[in-house]
Amino acid sequence: MLDTLLLLSLFSAGFAILAGNRSMSGWVLTLLYGAQLAALLSMSSLGYISDGGTTIIESSYTFTLLGFSLHWQFDGLSWFFALIVIMAALLSNWFASGEWSQRYREQGGSLRMFYSALALNVLSMLILLASGDFLSLFIGWEFVSWASFLMMALGSDKAARYAMRYLVYAFAGAMAVLGGMALVYVQAGSLEFQALREAVPGMSASSLWVLVLLFASGFGVKMALIPFHLWQAKAYAQTLGPGAAFLGAISSRMGLFAMILVLVKVIGISQLTRLQLVFPFFNARDLLAWLAVLTLIFATFTALRQHDARRLLAWHGIGQGGYMLLGIMIADDLGSAGGLMHVFNHATYQAVLFMTVTAVIHRTGTADLNKLGGLVARMPLSFFAMLIGIIGLAGLPPMNGFVSKWLIYRSLILDGSPMLFLAAVAGTLGTILSVYKLIHNMFLGQLRVEYEKLDEAPWSMMFPMMILSVIIFVTGYFPGLVLDWVNAAQSVAGLPVLEHTLGGVASDKGGLNMIWIVSILLFGFAVGTLILFSGGRSRRVHQLDNYAGGHFLTADTRYQYSDNFYPGLMHLIGPLYRKSFRWAERGLLSSVDSAALFMQGLYRQTQPVAYLLAVLVLSMYWILV
Amino acid sequence: MHLLLELLLMPLVAFIVGLAMVLMLRKIAARLQRRIGPPFLQPVYDIVKLYSKETQISHGLIHEMGIVMAVGGYIAAETLLPVPGMRGLADMGGIVTLTYLLMVPSLGMALGVGQCANPNGSIGISRALTAMLAYDVPFILVVFGVAWVHGTTNLAEIIEIQQQGGVQTWGLVQMPLLALAGLMTLPAMMGKQPFEIYVAPAEIATGPMVEMGGKFMGGLFVMQCFQLYTVGVLYTTLFLGGGENWPVFLLKVFAVVAIPMSAALMFPRYRTEDMLRLMWKWPVLIALLGLVMVMT
Repeated sequence: MLDTLLLLSLFSAGFAILAGNRSMSGWVLTLLYGAQLAALLSMSSLGYISDGGTTIIESSYTFTLLGFSLHWQFDGLSWFFALIVIMAALLSNWFASGEWSQRYREQGGSLRMFYSALALNVLSMLILLASGDFLSLFIGWEFVSWASFLMMALGSDKAARYAMRYLVYAFAGAMAVLGGMALVYVQAGSLEFQALREAVPGMSASSLWVLVLLFASGFGVKMALIPFHLWQAKAYAQTLGPGAAFLGAISSRMGLFAMILVLVKVIGISQLTRLQLVFPFFNARDLLAWLAVLTLIFATFTALRQHDARRLLAWHGIGQGGYMLLGIMIADDLGSAGGLMHVFNHATYQAVLFMTVTAVIHRTGTADLNKLGGLVARMPLSFFAMLIGIIGLAGLPPMNGFVSKWLIYRSLILDGSPMLFLAAVAGTLGTILSVYKLIHNMFLGQLRVEYEKLDEAPWSMMFPMMILSVIIFVTGYFPGLVLDWVNAAQSVAGLPVLEHTLGGVASDKGGLNMIWIVSILLFGFAVGTLILFSGGRSRRVHQLDNYAGGHFLTADTRYQYSDNFYPGLMHLIGPLYRKSFRWAERGLLSSVDSAALFMQGLYRQTQPVAYLLAVLVLSMYWILV
Repeated sequence: MHLLLELLLMPLVAFIVGLAMVLMLRKIAARLQRRIGPPFLQPVYDIVKLYSKETQISHGLIHEMGIVMAVGGYIAAETLLPVPGMRGLADMGGIVTLTYLLMVPSLGMALGVGQCANPNGSIGISRALTAMLAYDVPFILVVFGVAWVHGTTNLAEIIEIQQQGGVQTWGLVQMPLLALAGLMTLPAMMGKQPFEIYVAPAEIATGPMVEMGGKFMGGLFVMQCFQLYTVGVLYTTLFLGGGENWPVFLLKVFAVVAIPMSAALMFPRYRTEDMLRLMWKWPVLIALLGLVMVMT
């Protein structure tokens, strides 16, 4: 069955490359993704724990290369991620197939390139997810890096520049992974997961440290974990809208998947806690958890300062990745379930948010938060899609983002880590501030004159957005649906499996039942509506019929608060934004540059005198000493 | 059936107690300024007046939806707060859920104000959200400490543990520093003096309320009643052992609202950044010390 899925995916990619420019090919590809989804669902036994164990589906393709056998397989963990990949691709492709593709073609873009990039991304991700040993993992990893580069490079010239920057990071990451693999081969004598698993307990602490750091930084690049986070936000922000929705939803999570696979499944959390740092309360697991939390805080509060909607969302994508890693690094049943569930939840709301922003760009031509406003009057459905998305992103009830974050908070309380808990909550609070600014500056406030005759987003865009909104709400109402899959993934990764109910977690130490919580919230809204309508009949007024301190408002008066939205906060924390990471990146770049110049000078022999001098000095040293 | 009755009664009780609290705060403020203060039923008159006004100005659907969310969110939140004899939905979501559920009404208000297209309102919301960031940081540390000490996030169980152990197991006695830090954040959580820079009538024309009139203003009034009640009951639950019976419970809750507010009324209004500085300095330091005390 895995073969069918991979072949279908390969066929989609081939179709996109050959026939991507036809006007109907977007719809055909959407159907093909639907077929892939069906193929994946036919393997749904992977997604559920049956009779205490999980199944594995092997692919019949195996290769032997230089004595290494390469094989591919799907288990509960890969199935969970593959489900998100294919859903994201299906909906992004659907989103792109209608008016968006016509507009893109009219503007001179190559639809063939876009569709191929998307299909190749899906194919490469599936190959990565199916990897059954370190060699196939590395091959999949490289495919994914190149495929996402292809997608990022498609937009404007700017996009190509940021994509090149990503490529530099991705190369560095791939080198780290390759180094890790070499170490695996030296230590375990084989590139099979099982061999490393057996070899790890016998490894010395220092070589295990090197191994963990190499893999963590290699995969961390894709996740945009601090300090490798600089490439992502700009690159995603410049990616074509539907592509950004897809990449933002799932692409970075491939790093998380690889990290779970290698650090949690193969090496194991207990081995990570074995690695003590200088002082005895801090081990490799804590190091990763703190990196996750720092990523969360830095990225969220950077997002707060953005005034381009896409960049704001992309920064939040980096920050939310921190939650996932944090949850998995707590490694108890609640935390790891929260981390894994957040992968799903994040994919749903991030996709819908990027889609809404793309729809707004499609209609208005800009994503600059200082140039929009009041669009709710013209694009109400898009507003609601974005509202559901931001509630999910901020992690408030009743949407699904709340459940996964609740699991993480709850396990941090049980774990007794107040500082991690504080940081996790501070990240959420920062997110609330930032997403309010997003929705306010785009959809609320004053509607500009030039946007008075705007239409709602086209239906080809609206449908995927609505489907995602429904998924966000339903999986928030009945989180047990997703937690079933999460359980299978947990058990594959060797993490403790969370006992759950359809509504959440039943526990004598404080559980959560979202069915009740959401129902009571809906009941509250119903009562609130009744209370509102118990008052007198209201009259709608025009937006210019407003209090303006005695002045008259006219259509050309800009009466909107958008720039520097949180001045009080920035007054206090503004000086903390020092761009230290940018500075460090530049420093690194220029030192690499100078080293390259120096080496160039050496082998091109531009300064033969210097050579002579060096040889002279060395030989004198040799003779004299 | 019993539960359904509770779900209806709990918000209703909250509303009535909240009205009394509004009255109490007005009376306290009046007495401090050597005025007599409003008559007993003044909050009720206010609400009736606002809802029955003839001119009701709406700025659109989201304006109305925001007020619905603001009131409805609190109605839902009250059912998570156990009171004497009524457990409500306390077992369905504990203190963490409640903390986050309480942000739904704030978000609702923010959306409603945003739709009004008045920058004064938006500035007010920007300040209110910043204030939330300010007081939630120490508050979340307090929540963590309480949940950790009792080993549960279930509010009903936290009350039971304190009531079975008597006064010496009250949060106030067991974790005095956390209780102090919580007490310091209370006035900010209630959004009253001296932390009402987001309203600032003379500067931004009452901020979020600038375009609100009639039943919309009434909705905000109702929300305020719930807000006072929620904060009072939450603190009573975490640190004062909840209520054994209604008279004792109400006594505690009113005292929790009255005491810090009487002190806070003496201070002049804080600017947003000063509020952040204040909240992130002393309450956080005290809460951290308190955590060190209870966790070691």
